[in-house]
Amino acid sequence: MNVGEIIFLITVVVTLGGAAMAVLSGSIVYAMMGLVTTMFGIAGLYIYLESPFLSMMQILIYVGAVSVLIAFAVMLIGPLYRKPKEWTTIGKFAAALGVALVSLFMFVRFVMETFPRAVTPSFKITTKEIGRLLLNDLVLPFELISLLLVVAILGAIMLALFSRGNK
Amino acid sequence: MEQIGNMIGWETVKMVVGLVGVLIFVVFNALILTWAERKVAGHMQRRIGPKEVGPYGLIQPIADALKLLGKEILTPRDVDKPLYYLAPMIIFVPVLVSFIVIPFSASLLVMDINVGILVILAFSSLSVFSILMAGWGSNNKYALIGAIRSIAQNIAYEIPLLLSLLPIIMMTNSFSLKTIVEAQNGLWFVVYQPLAFLIYFIAAVAETNRTPFDLPEAESELVAGYHTEYSGMRFALFFLAEYTNIFIVSAIAVTFFLGGYQGPFLPGIVWFLLKSYSLVFVIMWLRWTFPRVRFDQLLNISWKALIPLAFINLLVTGGLLKL
Repeated sequence: MNVGEIIFLITVVVTLGGAAMAVLSGSIVYAMMGLVTTMFGIAGLYIYLESPFLSMMQILIYVGAVSVLIAFAVMLIGPLYRKPKEWTTIGKFAAALGVALVSLFMFVRFVMETFPRAVTPSFKITTKEIGRLLLNDLVLPFELISLLLVVAILGAIMLALFSRGNK
Repeated sequence: MEQIGNMIGWETVKMVVGLVGVLIFVVFNALILTWAERKVAGHMQRRIGPKEVGPYGLIQPIADALKLLGKEILTPRDVDKPLYYLAPMIIFVPVLVSFIVIPFSASLLVMDINVGILVILAFSSLSVFSILMAGWGSNNKYALIGAIRSIAQNIAYEIPLLLSLLPIIMMTNSFSLKTIVEAQNGLWFVVYQPLAFLIYFIAAVAETNRTPFDLPEAESELVAGYHTEYSGMRFALFFLAEYTNIFIVSAIAVTFFLGGYQGPFLPGIVWFLLKSYSLVFVIMWLRWTFPRVRFDQLLNISWKALIPLAFINLLVTGGLLKL
């Protein structure tokens, strides 16, 4: 086993360990830390796939923005010493079944099909290439996503304003 | 896989030497800055600052470091142990990672990564988590309030910080810090982008939690903020990280706006350190001349002034580049 493989294994263990911590820990702060760990692991996997830009974006967006926002939300919710509501056994099984089915379909549909192709990337992934693709071939989905985000922001602002008015 | 395999060899040796150098520099920088801060503070208040230990009190920081090393490491009984132990370690990760990509001179940099500035910006968010872990893990209301304030402040000021650096990246078409410095061979970018420089500097002072934006550790309201419960060497680590961060934001400002290591006559590293420490001095100067802002003022400055200005600046720059 060479150094590259060892690094890969460590990254995978970090990713899965973080995910397990996020799901299994009872405390919401530990769950958030687990999420951050997983995000770092995924960023490491991107570096392994020779896309450093994507990897840095993963950290910048999912750790720097999303997780910090989650941290902020955690600080704003009610008393943290209160235990969350326990799941019923049927609820647990239903949730596990749902997640398992979705992951299985995703795995069969995407991972199995694209895995052989991913070994040899067809073009060099540079920031220039990503920018060119986003503003030429993929311009419609790109703009639609920004529209969706604008609508979401406006909705959040309206909700905040309404709740303030009701007080 | 082969790529990582090939790196073991000359690259690894360079990396290890670079990291050791970075560690030495971090400690040395913090020692000098603690001394400089007390001297600057003293002179601004018509005192003379430390003068007993060594000439001009120069040995004072070493005496302080020895005192901190010699102290017993106390752990309060009711802290959340894993978070409490991890926080001072994690606050050091972004600090060390940032030094890998900062070009001290044309040849003196650990690694020229082509997404250099993104590495610094991405990892800088880890310090918020460290503050959160310290605040939450300490099980202390002052620490927790300090941590909450820090998160709100960080969300608000990360955006103008990014937006003020983007025009430079658009002008140079590169994320690599070395390319950005090379592009300033003629005129410094501060001439083209004075507004961006101002926005960056204000946001950077806020990101490092310095007065006038030091609400996370406001000593008159919150004892010591998120590191209230820390003592001895663990406290020293927070302190070390804070002073290193001051240097890093100054170094990025120099790299992006003030021509980096470029300058006549003197070697690159001298220019780089000279420019960086001048900015560090300005940050200290701000600390001892401005009162702390109120929390609503702090957030309003960012959301209502800096972010719109940064957006306008970005739009104008993009438009002018395509004319």
